[in-house]
Amino acid sequence: MPEIVNDKKVFTLLEVTKSIQKTLAERYKSVYWVKAEMNKLNYYSHSGHCYPELVEKANGKVIAQIKSILWKNDYINVNNNFLNVLKEPLKNGIKILFLAKISFDPSYGLSLRIIDIDPSYTLGDLEKEKRETIKRLKSEGIFNRNKLLQIPLLPKRIAIISVETSKGYADFLKVLETNSWNYKFFHFLFPSLLQGDRATVSIKNQLKRIKKVRGHFDVVAIIRGGGGDIGLSCYNNYELAREIALFPIPVITGIGHVTNETVVEMISFSNAITPTKIAEYLLQKFHNFSVPVQKAEEKIRDKSRRLLSDEKTKFGSEIKLFRSVTENILIGNRNQIKENINSLVQQTTFRFKNEKEYLRAGREEIKRGTLKICAAEKLEINGFALTMKKDVISQIIQSKTALNNMEKNIENMSPQSVLKRGYSITMSNGKAIKSTKNLKEGDALETIVYEGRIFSLVKSSKKTIE
Amino acid sequence: MSDIPTYTEAFDELQSIVSEIELGEISVDELSEKVKRAALLIKLCKQKLTSTEEDVDRIMGELDTPTTENDAQQNGS
Repeated sequence: MPEIVNDKKVFTLLEVTKSIQKTLAERYKSVYWVKAEMNKLNYYSHSGHCYPELVEKANGKVIAQIKSILWKNDYINVNNNFLNVLKEPLKNGIKILFLAKISFDPSYGLSLRIIDIDPSYTLGDLEKEKRETIKRLKSEGIFNRNKLLQIPLLPKRIAIISVETSKGYADFLKVLETNSWNYKFFHFLFPSLLQGDRATVSIKNQLKRIKKVRGHFDVVAIIRGGGGDIGLSCYNNYELAREIALFPIPVITGIGHVTNETVVEMISFSNAITPTKIAEYLLQKFHNFSVPVQKAEEKIRDKSRRLLSDEKTKFGSEIKLFRSVTENILIGNRNQIKENINSLVQQTTFRFKNEKEYLRAGREEIKRGTLKICAAEKLEINGFALTMKKDVISQIIQSKTALNNMEKNIENMSPQSVLKRGYSITMSNGKAIKSTKNLKEGDALETIVYEGRIFSLVKSSKKTIE
Repeated sequence: MSDIPTYTEAFDELQSIVSEIELGEISVDELSEKVKRAALLIKLCKQKLTSTEEDVDRIMGELDTPTTENDAQQNGS
């Protein structure tokens, strides 16, 4: 009951709130289906109760909001329904259609007590989000962007977005590293949550980190495995899908088997579905490289061997041909030479015979000629001899006559002849005197006359006057 | 083409040698040279299949450096 203080009717807070509680309880007797956006679930794990924040927005602005309560047991039921129908737990940021009772409690105030949530309404909303994400990516022209990238011939450097302890990650590495072809991959883990609301931000952050070192990687692999098909609606998130669509290197997804392919899987370079399949996909790329290399090796070996053996055969037959051709030519030449020899022999024999004949005729002719000349010469010599004989005789007679004359002359000129004619020779000292010179009185003189010698002395001498 | 081709170049060049040899466009004179080249390319390709050259420490180092403006723009775009 209110008390009167200073003429004023004063209520306690409890009285007022109880009055409100009473009024509201009378006014809102039934339960109502309400649609709203559940901004936050506000799940308290120790109590198991939830205190969802409900809002209604118009043009991005909050136009209504109210607190709500979802008691532990109701939460468990609702969450199970969600997991069955949506493959998603009850989570922040979804639109819900819920059955609620308006409740007012003096100590907690006004709130909606959520009794049930219809999962099919939220499902539709999630489908709508997915459709809108697809539509937006398509209208921006980036839906196929990642698919259009060129994956390197050998995608050997892999940036892995996964959980280190997950089965999917282990499976992936096992297939990759125990391959029997000894293909070597380089991989680097960028740990991230892979399901639920927070996965969106977590994956985006790791993508950002990979982008920083993208020069070191050929491909990004998003690997999830081991968990159920729960909490995968994050892969329909526009922001995440956009990040992946625009990612500069190919992104391959191995998120797991889901009933409906998520947007991220649709727009990724390749959706291998399971981690093992990603590994096999990468190994296949290596095969696609390795097999042609192997084949090239074989082909080059075979073809070059064949080429060489063909050339050898060709060369061999060329040699054979060459030999037979040269042999033929040699035989031909040899025969020719033989013929030439024969003909030469014949010709020379003939020629010699001719020459011999000619020489013989020459000899005969010379012989005859010589004899003839000899005879003529003989005749001539004989003539000469005769003439010479005659000449010599007349010469001798002539000479004899001349000699006789000379003898007469000489005889006439001899001192005896001279002396006989009366001449004498006077000598002094053995020498004939020709002048008076050198003669003095008393010198002894000897005078030779025809018959004897006269000895005298010089009385005087007188020089003859001319 | 540089002396040390990338494996893509090596692969392409190898394929072209194979097709040349298949079409009989290679003479015996060139054969030795081509086969030598192909052997080198095959070796290179096989090496690429079975080895990696990435360095974890370097990647870690680069991850730790602050984001450059260029990256920030690319992230924000």
